[in-house]
Amino acid sequence: MDPMIFVQYSPILIRGFGLTILAWLLGTVFGMALGLVIALVQRYAPKPVTWVIQAYIEIVRGTPFLVQLFVLYYGGPMVGLRLDPLPAGIVGLTIYGSPYFAEIFRSGFRAVPHGQIEAARAIGMAEPAIVRRILLPLGLVSALPALVNFSIILTKETVILSIITVPELMYQVQRMSTETFRFLEGNFVLALFFWGLVEVISRFGRRIETRITRHLIERP
Amino acid sequence: MVQASSVEIAKVNKFYGPFHALKDIDLSIAPGKVTCLIGPSGSGKSTLLRCINFLEEYSSGEIRIDGQLIGYKTPGGAKMSGRDLRTMRRSIGMVFQQFNLWPHMTALENVAEGLRRVRGLSRTEAEARAAEALRKVGLGDRMANHPSRLSGGQQQRVAIARAIAMEPKLMLFDEPTSALDPELVGEVLNVMKALAAEGMTMVVVTHEMGFAAHVADRVAFMEKGELVAVDAPARILHQPEDPRIQAFLRTYHERNLF
Repeated sequence: MDPMIFVQYSPILIRGFGLTILAWLLGTVFGMALGLVIALVQRYAPKPVTWVIQAYIEIVRGTPFLVQLFVLYYGGPMVGLRLDPLPAGIVGLTIYGSPYFAEIFRSGFRAVPHGQIEAARAIGMAEPAIVRRILLPLGLVSALPALVNFSIILTKETVILSIITVPELMYQVQRMSTETFRFLEGNFVLALFFWGLVEVISRFGRRIETRITRHLIERP
Repeated sequence: MVQASSVEIAKVNKFYGPFHALKDIDLSIAPGKVTCLIGPSGSGKSTLLRCINFLEEYSSGEIRIDGQLIGYKTPGGAKMSGRDLRTMRRSIGMVFQQFNLWPHMTALENVAEGLRRVRGLSRTEAEARAAEALRKVGLGDRMANHPSRLSGGQQQRVAIARAIAMEPKLMLFDEPTSALDPELVGEVLNVMKALAAEGMTMVVVTHEMGFAAHVADRVAFMEKGELVAVDAPARILHQPEDPRIQAFLRTYHERNLF
């Protein structure tokens, strides 16, 4: 190990890590939002619509992220969709994550006792209010651990963005490695940065969990 | 005294696939009267009760609240709009066996929720009325508690407050005390008795024969989806003619011997 190369490359490594975090954060937020919309549509839309969306879920879940990203970045221009590497990466992460997030939300909604929905219907609450006031808050609580878990998985999918030349951490590490022929150092940096990021996310997730479940735990 | 609804149930049938859950049910409930539905489990009591506010769809027949058909535009016709159904449900309160309080809201918020989202009251106004309803069920000092910090009896009283805060004209109770520890049953039944004394129309699915005997105006006995008999409580509970009722009561009394 040569510590000097870390000093030398730290500016571009840190910039790369910043981009990794940015791509992950936006991809996760948009992917979750899209997943939530999908889960709600699957719950309320008429059958034919749900079949179409189910097909989308199966296709996206059934293919590797790498392939999806290639299709989006290199195939997109053929249908007039020309994206820069970073936006393409974020859109790719959004699409890739959405069906997983949708399934997580779906199971979260299923965990809300049906009686609590019926109680809302019985007093005459309209469905949008039921979703907003009952289904979402309670469903999210059940879904939270799985949401955090999948967000963590997504952090590591960001390395694939290097293939479409997004200058994120993996891209910069590869550059450092090929320029210095120091491959061990590169992998060390990758491991350390990702471990740190995942640690922060999981701690943050646990904190939210403790916070939002404080009234839900039986303690008479 | 509350403004109370009448309920007219005529020739109601309900099928779950091939299973005939309700068979030609006829039952009419006059305003301000308390009717208890009793019978063995699986007899269709809860299903019938849930048809009254259309939480359960009936397959044929008519259910009318104050003369207005619920669930369908015309008998045997298309379903009524969601908006019309919600309007009808506003004046029908329901209390469930499992309480079904919303666990992320305090007792006060549970009761105020309907007033805010359905009646459109301001938060202040809704919470004032909710507090009043909670005091009425004896929970004036528990308003800030979440359901997880309340006993089963207290939770069920909050659920009753949630229903009565909407100023219903009809109250449906689906085995309101069946999930409670025996020592907590009394507090819930007392609230229900007070409600009956105010002149509320009540339909109560129950296994509490004492409540049926002392509070009900009429008792309806159901078995296997059929309404076997409807009569004064004494006639059903003390001098039943139908052998099915006799058998049911025999089992009930045997279980309560010790």
